[in-house]
Amino acid sequence: MSVKQPGLSGLIHTVGEGLEGHVSNRHLALFGIGFVGLFFILPVLLLVPESLHLDSATPFESYRRVLNGIYIDAFVRSFLFGIVTTVVTLALAYLLSYYLAFATERVRIAMTLIIVPLWIAYIVRYFGILLFLSPAGPFADLTGIEPGLLFTTPAVIIGLANVYLPFAVLPLYNSLNAIDEELINASRVLGANKWRTIAKVIFPLSLPGLVAAGLIVFILAAGSFLGPAVLGGPRQTMIANVIAQAFLDNFNIQFASALAIVYTVLLVALLFVFNAVFSLQEVLEKI
Amino acid sequence: MSTSTSATTRLRGLSFRAIIAVVFAFLLLPVIIVVLTSFTTQSFPAIPQEGVSLAWYEQLLQDDKLINALTVSLVVATASAILSGIIGTIAAIGFVRAEFPYKQQVSTVMLLPMIISPVITGIALVRYFGTIQLPSGYPALVLGHTVLSLPYVFLLVRSELLTFDEDLERASRVLGADPVTTFRNVTGPIISPAILAGGFIAFVVSFGEFTATQFLISPGTSTVPVVIYTMLRTGLTPTINALSVVLIVIMLVVALSSRRLTSS
Repeated sequence: MSVKQPGLSGLIHTVGEGLEGHVSNRHLALFGIGFVGLFFILPVLLLVPESLHLDSATPFESYRRVLNGIYIDAFVRSFLFGIVTTVVTLALAYLLSYYLAFATERVRIAMTLIIVPLWIAYIVRYFGILLFLSPAGPFADLTGIEPGLLFTTPAVIIGLANVYLPFAVLPLYNSLNAIDEELINASRVLGANKWRTIAKVIFPLSLPGLVAAGLIVFILAAGSFLGPAVLGGPRQTMIANVIAQAFLDNFNIQFASALAIVYTVLLVALLFVFNAVFSLQEVLEKI
Repeated sequence: MSTSTSATTRLRGLSFRAIIAVVFAFLLLPVIIVVLTSFTTQSFPAIPQEGVSLAWYEQLLQDDKLINALTVSLVVATASAILSGIIGTIAAIGFVRAEFPYKQQVSTVMLLPMIISPVITGIALVRYFGTIQLPSGYPALVLGHTVLSLPYVFLLVRSELLTFDEDLERASRVLGADPVTTFRNVTGPIISPAILAGGFIAFVVSFGEFTATQFLISPGTSTVPVVIYTMLRTGLTPTINALSVVLIVIMLVVALSSRRLTSS
């Protein structure tokens, strides 16, 4: 990488001298925040005026529509599916992480295989589950069993749990792996059996990882578009699908913006409540 | 310990391992089935039972629309990986080294693109780009994907910098090097594996992104995930599988080369 051209080095040196005392680390942080502010925060905030019918007599028309039963249902479903997915995913992720954290070195290579799906596009993985659940799909073809699950709620939950499982395994594995073996040995020496050791020592020490895993899975699952779009039917529509439909199919930008604002406000409010119990910053650091 | 209890322990161990195997299968089988069924000789995705065929891959090569989508995906992912690599690194250095009030809270803002649903990011960006008259297509896709992959680069480079020995930089400065030269010769080489890993993650995030992307494309700049989604809607033919496998291979090659390049 070291280019030894006198011209370039000279130029870099001149630039460096010029920047000396003018560009501080604060400026660098400001640049990062500025970029996110300009190309993320501002665009999201601009959805607020988008959502209002400013030049009409009924500026909150779109928000009134949000209160319609079918949209309330979509909100409730998003949070409900998010919670169910989180519970299912945490249970599976805890089993996997526990096994890997206390396994032999050779088995731990399997850890790589849990990370592999993270490198594969969601759409491909949802497609794989779609194939599995299809009445005429490869699974039905091989086994003769037709899993009548496609376009139902269990199909969507299965899809979401599958896709977000690696996100839950990472923080859980890390927190279980960080437990001092001596604490487990001490518990055993003092007469606790395996289950008591798990309940009184291992589980409490893995709680930070569990909270981090639960938070990230819930946020991702509740805001999922592809899960219900590929594996669900009209009765599994979640909020991301309603927003996309309002925007892309009905060209109703005001209504899509109103839904987006309501969802963001609800999520942020939820994170504030969460932050009162656990520190959001500490939790996010584990991910 | 009596023989009967050790037998039950072993049985419990066995059933636990069986459960683990099932969870593992649950995680990996969807991908395996997509790959397997891409080699079918039939006209719908099926597990090849009598011989395999590459017919669907040949079909893929002849479809200009699919080749075009692959090119768009590669260009956008490369450009946004470079951009978010640079911006994420600058931001991470600033946030680790500078002291200012509410630093922790402000740095959470850097992670917001990860937290807000990509469907909201998508509609917000497409409206915003329209307002500031940023051309749709490549500019919108690259900038959008940069925003979405930035948090990953930021987190990776930041965690690398937290363990960085700042005495090395002080030594360079004492010896008369200016900040840019110090970065180029001291800081840069040490944190470059993290920057590189961040860039590779950004590439993969961009390459697989669908939800926000569906709002940012314009005619002629569809990306591979968008094409796969459209094909899923119009009917299952094994061409989708072939295209998915190409996507998987590119993503895994990038991920594996990232590991190789950054571990050395």
